[in-house]
Amino acid sequence: MKKILLLFPVAVLALLVLLPFLWTISTSLKPLTEVNRYPPEWVSPSMSLKPYGDMFFYLPFSRYTLNSLIVASSATMLTLVVGSLAAFAFARFRFRGRKQILLVLLLSQMLPGASVIIPLFQLLRTAGLYDTHLGLILVHTAVLLPFVIWLLHGFFSGIPTEVEDAALIDGCSRLEALRRVILPLALPGLGATALFAFLGSWNEFFFALILTNTDATQTIPVGIGLFVGEFEDVWNQMSAAAVLFSIPPLILFMAMRRTFVRGLAAGALQ
Amino acid sequence: MRRYTPYMLLTPALLFTVFILVYPMAQNLVNSFRDVSLVREGGGWTGLLNYQHVFGDPVFWLAFRNTVVYAVAGTLLALLIGLGLALVLDMHTGAMSSFAATLYSIPWVISPVVAGFAWKWLLNDHFGILNYWLSSAGIARHGTSWLGNPHTALFCVMVARAWQFYPFAMVMFIAGLQSIPAEQYEAASVDGASRIRRFFHITIPNLRPVSSVLLLLGVIWSFNDFNMVFVMTRGGPINASMVLPVLVREFSFVHFDLGKGSALSVLIFALLVTLSYLYLRVLARRERG
Amino acid sequence: MKRIIAGAALVALLGAIVGLSCGRKEDAVELHDWNFGGKPRMIEWLRQRVDAFEQTRGGIRVIQSQKSWNMIRELLYADFSVGTGPDVVNVHANYAAEFGGAGYFYPVNTFPDFQEVRTWYVPHLLESTRYGENYYGLPSSGIAFVLVCNKELFDREGISPPRTWSEFREAARRLTKDTDGDGIVDQYGLVLLGGDKGGFAYRLIPFFLKAGADIMSADLKTILFNSPAGVSALQLIADMYLVDHSITPGFLAYQLTEINDLFCSNKVAMSIEGPWFRGMVDDKSPGKKIYTVPVPVPDDRIAAYDTASTLQDMVMYSINARAKHPEQAWELVKYLRNEEADMAWIREDLGAIATTRNALESPEAKNLSDLSLYVHELMHAKPWPPHPSMIAIASDIFTPYAQKAIVGELSPREAMDQAASEAQEMIEGKR
Repeated sequence: MKKILLLFPVAVLALLVLLPFLWTISTSLKPLTEVNRYPPEWVSPSMSLKPYGDMFFYLPFSRYTLNSLIVASSATMLTLVVGSLAAFAFARFRFRGRKQILLVLLLSQMLPGASVIIPLFQLLRTAGLYDTHLGLILVHTAVLLPFVIWLLHGFFSGIPTEVEDAALIDGCSRLEALRRVILPLALPGLGATALFAFLGSWNEFFFALILTNTDATQTIPVGIGLFVGEFEDVWNQMSAAAVLFSIPPLILFMAMRRTFVRGLAAGALQ
Repeated sequence: MRRYTPYMLLTPALLFTVFILVYPMAQNLVNSFRDVSLVREGGGWTGLLNYQHVFGDPVFWLAFRNTVVYAVAGTLLALLIGLGLALVLDMHTGAMSSFAATLYSIPWVISPVVAGFAWKWLLNDHFGILNYWLSSAGIARHGTSWLGNPHTALFCVMVARAWQFYPFAMVMFIAGLQSIPAEQYEAASVDGASRIRRFFHITIPNLRPVSSVLLLLGVIWSFNDFNMVFVMTRGGPINASMVLPVLVREFSFVHFDLGKGSALSVLIFALLVTLSYLYLRVLARRERG
Repeated sequence: MKRIIAGAALVALLGAIVGLSCGRKEDAVELHDWNFGGKPRMIEWLRQRVDAFEQTRGGIRVIQSQKSWNMIRELLYADFSVGTGPDVVNVHANYAAEFGGAGYFYPVNTFPDFQEVRTWYVPHLLESTRYGENYYGLPSSGIAFVLVCNKELFDREGISPPRTWSEFREAARRLTKDTDGDGIVDQYGLVLLGGDKGGFAYRLIPFFLKAGADIMSADLKTILFNSPAGVSALQLIADMYLVDHSITPGFLAYQLTEINDLFCSNKVAMSIEGPWFRGMVDDKSPGKKIYTVPVPVPDDRIAAYDTASTLQDMVMYSINARAKHPEQAWELVKYLRNEEADMAWIREDLGAIATTRNALESPEAKNLSDLSLYVHELMHAKPWPPHPSMIAIASDIFTPYAQKAIVGELSPREAMDQAASEAQEMIEGKR
């Protein structure tokens, strides 16, 4: 009985909290002539999935999706590799400058994207990486690294050293120990971190906006972001794009939520 | 060989840090003392001129004030919502609670672009559902403009930001709540403390470390947040919701004045570092005392 | 085993990135065409036209991209300043001064057949693409800013479109009302495009011009929009907003989409727009009618109603000065803008006004509603002064100050004087 009583506020809160998103979903199913009815309706007479198809007319969303996938997956992999090495160093070694380097990493966490965008823009330009996948991947990796290292550092520190010591005694090098012992044990943590990195890159807008300029490299957020308020009014198609774009992260998140929460907590309470 | 291993392990990460932080900030510093434009060649040294332009620009002071409000109030709001929902979820266990937690986390999972777009449409003065409800309930006039009114634009963007950030706070609070030792509560009930007293005297103090971290992170991230404001208002109307990150882009890519944009970047970074340093010192002192 | 799969995936991914980042080497010449804005039907027509070009011409591949009109200047600058950017692009004709002057646009008058091509167009429209000695594009669509009136609301109220400022103010006042009796005003007389910094100036300046005010002196050395006539134009709008409350309160956030929404749902009666508007409204609300009339003149200038100037804008097709294949780009531009293509502007309502004499004088032209009005207005319209800083002045100085005056933060006189002095500093090269 108590459970049902508590269910009600939980459900109401969920609806309230999701209101903007639900309204977007509703809009994405309406034909253009019914988007602006007054009074506004949740369900309009001729709803359909048509806007989901129509949205490909204006912008090459299939290309944008490919770009988003390439950039997000590559950035995730790169971040995990580089981040694991660094986190391992912090978790298992005591060395001079440890605190200072940690501090520098923390500082780069504080990075205003807007502050570094100009030099980055100039740097990528000179290096021929402006408006390329690789350029954006490198930038995303660099932006995600500090937080990823922080998370992984939390995970690695939580793994007891005994198993590793046993491996070392058996003749493994430190790196082999990392690969054979720690990583498998930290797999849930790695998964959660991968999720975080993927989300971060998939959803990223600012750097993608400024460091790319053609359809061949632009990602979905840029497509959506640039078309808000354009010449022709297509709220329904843009809503459809927004909804579709949110599906991969939502699925990933739902699949990995528990691990992710555990990882966040472990990292945070360090 | 052994001694150098940690440094070797760290090298790739450090390279990236140099790439994304050290080099750009150094370049910003250099640029800020020169006359650099996006479109013209050259760039002679101009000393403090760019900084003078920044400080002399009324939009800068407006953006500065707006950013502080946006970051602090937005984060506090997010923490409040996050704490509230964490407490609600803490009362349940099991599949329903897990499912609810997932639902509550959705605002954080979706892209800021999508969030900004969703809020913009929701707040539409004539066709958004929010205005319809508010005017039906008699709270607001029909057709009230939220994002087009210089007095309410910043507030709206701030709420949208809090909406995006609260799940992060919620998750941290849940972890924090679960780590409070049960003995403290038991001891308190034995002493006859009411629910409310237990909340204020046990729960809140135990959550202080988490709250401190959240506050710092939240303020820093919100201070740097470009996406929400850009998508919802581009800083308008008439700069009423202009924040510093959006202003940097405006100086550099709309007015093409890279020198001025760089000066502003340096200022923002210095401000954040100073604030964080002060904050951490206050925290450390409190922990000691 | 897992390692092999992971390794293979990595290699495949890297290969994909490298492959996609490098261009494909082909025998065909590749041209990049950025298209800014446009109604869906116009976009479709352009794609068909480009396909026809590729087929008849052969050996040229055109890659079209659709871009957002309200970020056009930043997007182009970002790329041009790096030395990249599209080969062919459609822009405001007044970009000739800024981009042509900066050496970003190709002077099309240097092509051998230019003297013949130029005869296709109405001469004074072609002149809008000129800056200094060179012409920087071919005219695409002529634009004159006019007053559009919601026919249904006007007929319901029993009034006809206004001609003078007094009539205009009165009409707006009468058309601002509470239509459903709930005590809240839900219909407004006028709406302006406040959310687009560049576009807003285009809506306001016609009033200045109709009042006889100039934006700049002919020698481009002095700012003139703060003349008494100019200030009076701003005063009109400010009064309508602050005193009559006949302008929609949320106008500062409105883009074209919002204006279209309001018009179609009968929440607003008038706006200042151009040739795209009729089609836009019809797409959203098929069959909805509008009156298109010249922008009103001050009461004491009623005698000059037929000849007073409105703002002229024009879209032109330009070529990137650093295009790798300028001759082929020129072929594409000519194909997109020749007399045959221009006839499409007449035969269908694509939201553009034709610019070739052949099209404008053709018998079919008589069938187009509004065309005669637009052509008439275009004949005396004035474009933005061809100063390289004009666009920056309009969006970054004029618009914010004008908006402040309208919402009451400054008086129109103060706002225009301050704007004029900042603009003056800008054209004199000081910051």
